[in-house]
Order: sequence, then structure tokens, then C-alpha cells
Amino acid sequence: MAKRKHENKDEDESPKKSKEDIVLPPVINSNEPVQRQKKWINKQRILVLSSRGIGYRSRHLMLDLRSLLPHSKPESKMDNKDKLFVINEMCEMKNCNKCIYFEGKKKMDLYMWLSNVPRGPSAKFLVENVHTMSELKMTGNCLKASRPLLSFSKEFEQEEHWQLLKELFTQIFSVPNHHPKSQPFFDHVFNFSIVDNRIWFRNYQILEEDASLAEIGPRFVLNPIRIFEGSFGGPTLYINPSYTSPNEHRRILRRSLAAKYLMKVESKKGHESRKPTNSSYDLDPTDDFFTVTPEDVG
Amino acid sequence: MALFKKFTNRIPYESDESVSSDAESLDSDEELQNAFAAGKLKSGFVIEAAPKKQLIKNTTGLRQKLDEMKQDLAWIERLDMINDSTQLPKSMVDEDNESGDADVHNDFKREMKFYRQAQAAVLEALPRLQKLGLKTKRPEDYFAEMAKSDDHMKRVREKLLEKTLGMERSEKAKKLRDLRKYGKQVQKEVLQKRQKEKRDMLEAVKKYRKGQKDKLDFLNNDDFEENDKKNKKVQKGGKGGKPGVNRKRVYKNAKFGFGGQKKRSKMNTKDSVNNVSQYGKNFSKIRSSKKGMKNKRPGKSRRQNTKSRK
Repeated sequence: MAKRKHENKDEDESPKKSKEDIVLPPVINSNEPVQRQKKWINKQRILVLSSRGIGYRSRHLMLDLRSLLPHSKPESKMDNKDKLFVINEMCEMKNCNKCIYFEGKKKMDLYMWLSNVPRGPSAKFLVENVHTMSELKMTGNCLKASRPLLSFSKEFEQEEHWQLLKELFTQIFSVPNHHPKSQPFFDHVFNFSIVDNRIWFRNYQILEEDASLAEIGPRFVLNPIRIFEGSFGGPTLYINPSYTSPNEHRRILRRSLAAKYLMKVESKKGHESRKPTNSSYDLDPTDDFFTVTPEDVG
Repeated sequence: MALFKKFTNRIPYESDESVSSDAESLDSDEELQNAFAAGKLKSGFVIEAAPKKQLIKNTTGLRQKLDEMKQDLAWIERLDMINDSTQLPKSMVDEDNESGDADVHNDFKREMKFYRQAQAAVLEALPRLQKLGLKTKRPEDYFAEMAKSDDHMKRVREKLLEKTLGMERSEKAKKLRDLRKYGKQVQKEVLQKRQKEKRDMLEAVKKYRKGQKDKLDFLNNDDFEENDKKNKKVQKGGKGGKPGVNRKRVYKNAKFGFGGQKKRSKMNTKDSVNNVSQYGKNFSKIRSSKKGMKNKRPGKSRRQNTKSRK
């Protein structure tokens, strides 16, 4: 808690003092109070955690995000039995005001919650197509804690729910200016674009000033499900109409296969019933009149 | 039809698109049958109607929340931008005229779009940052922890190198294959040409015999050609300035003899017995060293040791 007090004091002092960067003198007395960067205004802290039972790929994704966001704080995995709003308390204890929560289901499906902690809103996404930073095809590299540029596609301006999500993304993914752990240069871009009603995340390194880029990773696709008014709960503000849950999707696939079989069986039955039992042409009953079997004679 | 009845008894079904407008009128079997007769339904296109979702979009709530959440901060604190992608080169634009939906499943086009958007962001942001007097480029001598470790980057580079090498190799193999094909064709043509010449020559000879021709011009011609061939053969054999020496033949002649006596060739003669040039002072040493040379392979334990060291 002591740490927190310090930070609060900084915030109070910041407007009074000059806005220049503070350069520490080479020799400092131990009696002097520690000087800090005063310009650190945008105090976002993000709790990044996951539920139990997420797959290895999802875990790596989470670790990548942690390493790319120096203003994030880790937390141990949460039990599935716990209610989600427990996270709010966790955030409070860890002094965080934003949260990224990864929820794994069936070791297959990954859901991501983004939340603005005390007062909401929060959004739940299905995470699809995850590629982590450790894949070898991603050739870029950047400073571990440099501040990313955030680029949003034009669709984020158009509708209300996209606007809200944009605000949420900016507050979570932009590293605060003058954050103690951050680096002073700009060498990567977080790219959010909306295609096919989903949000596609990419991370590029800026190779040259003339904007040649190389991908760093991770990459993932967020399919929005719901936006809630509160943090991890509360009344729903938005439901994505085009969302089908992965369970549903798998069920439909299985159903369509089953339907194929049923069709086949049904058509066989139909064929059987339509098949003529007697010969296909009309017989004249008088044809048999003169045919005589040996028994008739005997 | 029986199938339709069966399904409709359980759950209301509707066709994919064509009938969706009057989907609610399709509850009874009779109407379904009518629709089928009218050709609106096809047997393969029946999909279960999804249960109607409750749609919520509380625009006022969303706006309110957005206002509540908004920060009054300078751009430098947030670094967010809204970008349209940069202009594509003309060659790509032509293809892009197709429907936008196809782009989602075309990996290259989709990724290109994202890349362009990020480029636009960089082109917008860097001047803006420089105007604020901030450094954007990392100096060469500024070292700090990177997102990916050096070890990882080394692996990435190795992978890239491997890929390019593989490409080169396959290209080379392709070229060789083509060359070989071409060579075969040339050989075939040459053989055909030779056979044709032979045929022509024989015919000419025949004609001469029968007295249809008086002149022997063709012979001269052929002589000339034959000479040419001989010359070529000599050239072929004469690689490295030794014309026409068949080494294999020379060796075999030496080994098996070619003419001359073969028997008693391995017997001692007076000369061979008297020849003691190889038995010098160091004869025993030489022999022992020869023995040492012979056994180049180290012992088993030593071999295993070296193996384990690796």
C-alpha cells in the first residue's frame, strides 16, 4: 500500500512543477527523497490472468501480451468454480483498473474478457486463429517495453459498439506515457481492423521510417459476443447477432453429416416401396389357357 | 416428401434463403408440400431454423458508457489513430475489384490490407511524434531487453536462410532437369540425322550400281563427312590434351596382358631375387609404422568416449 501512496502524491504534485523531463544527477544522497518522472499521468494498470484449463497456445498468447504490455500485472490462474466478479476484487487488491481475462473451455475454445474494472463496461470475445510471438515465421522484433502505436480501421468510427470497444482497446493496449518500465522509442504498431464482423489484431515492427514493416506477433481474431455495462456483469448493452458459439458450430457440422446419412436411408426406403412387385407388363390371362403340365394329363 | 413430414413434425424447418421471407407460413405440411410443388424447396437445401436470438443494441447506453469512460488526455498519452489503408499499387487494385467478402478468405489480400493500414498509421504517427520533439528511432548503441530473445531471433534467421537455400536448390535442380531433357532431344536428333545420311548413301550406291548415276560425287561428300566425324571422335577422346587414350583399356592390358607370354609371370627371377633395394636400414621401422597405419580405427572404449563427449 505504501507504493500506492507514493504514486498518488506524484499525481498531486505533477501540475505544480515544471513539465520538463527530470534527469537524475549522478550522485544522490540517500537522505533526499526519490525524484520521479512527474509526467506519468495516464495511470493504467492491467491485470492479465487466465482461468484453469486453457491450452498451451492460449497460455503463450497470454504471456506474450504480458511481455508486450509493461503496465500489466500477472495473477495466478483462477478456478473455474469462482464467480467472475471475484476478478473485480482481485483487481482492486492488485491496484489495477483494467483487466484482460482469458477463459478456456473444453481445452479448445478460448474466450477473452476485456474490462474497465470498477465501473465497466466489459466485453466478452471469442478468440480465434491464435498465433503466438514464438512462431518462427514472424520475423520482427521490438523493444520489450516500448510504447506501441495503435491503429484502428475506419469501421471503428461507424457504430456505437465499435466506438466503445475502440476506447476500451486504447485504454488497455496503449502503454502510458512515461511509464517507469517503458522505453522511449516507437518501434511497433498494434493494428486493429474489422473484417467480417471480427476484430483482427496484428503487431508490426517499424523497420524503417518510410514505413516498411515486419510482423512480430502475436496475432489473433476477436469475435465479439456481448458488451456488458458493468465490469464482468451487469445489464447487456450489445449482443452480436452474427455470433454462433463454437459448440453450436460443431453441432451443426455433426448434424449436417447425420442428415446426409438419414437422407440416404430414406431414399433407399423410397426406392424399395416404389419398386414394382409383379412383372412390369400386363399379362393376358388367356395366354396360359393351352399350356398343359404333365400332372394335368396324368 | 416423407422426409419433410418427418422433420416438420419435430422442429420447424425452413429453406435456406428462398422462402425465408414467408418462413412463418410454412408451419403446416400442406403448405410445405405446396411450396415443394412450386419448386421453392429443394431436397438438399433444408436447414434447421435457428432459434430466434434476442437482439440487444442499447445505443444510448453504449454512448453513455463511452462518455463516462473517455479520458481527457493529449494524444501522446494514448497514441491511438484511425487509419484507412494506404493506396495499393495499381497492379493490386485491379484484382481488388472483386467482392469484399472473398478477401476474408484470401490470406494474402487480407494480410496486405492489415499491413497497409499499419503503414498508414506509421506514416501518420512518426511525423506527429517528431513534431512533438520525441525520438522515434532507436540508436544503434541503445541496448535494452527485446520482446524476442537473441536466441529466438537466431532461430528465426536460420529458418529464413534455410528457406532461401531450399528455394535455390530446387531451382538449380529444375534447371538441370531441363538441361538434361534438352540434351536428350539433341542426341535423338543427331542419331536420326546420321541414320538418314546412311540411308541416303546406300540408296545412292544402289543407284550407281544399277547405272542410273555416273558420278561418284556422293562418295566425296561422305568422305568429307566421315573425316569430320573422326575428327570429332578424336576431340571427344582427347580430354586434357591426351587424344584417344582409353585408360581402362591400358590398365586392363597391363593387368591381363595383351599378347606375349602370361605364364610364369609371377615367378621369381634372377633380377627380382637380387633386388634388395626395399630392405634398407629402417626396414623394421617401416614395417612397424605400416602396421600402425593399418589400424586407424581407435579402440571401442575410446570411440565411445569421443561419442559421449559430442
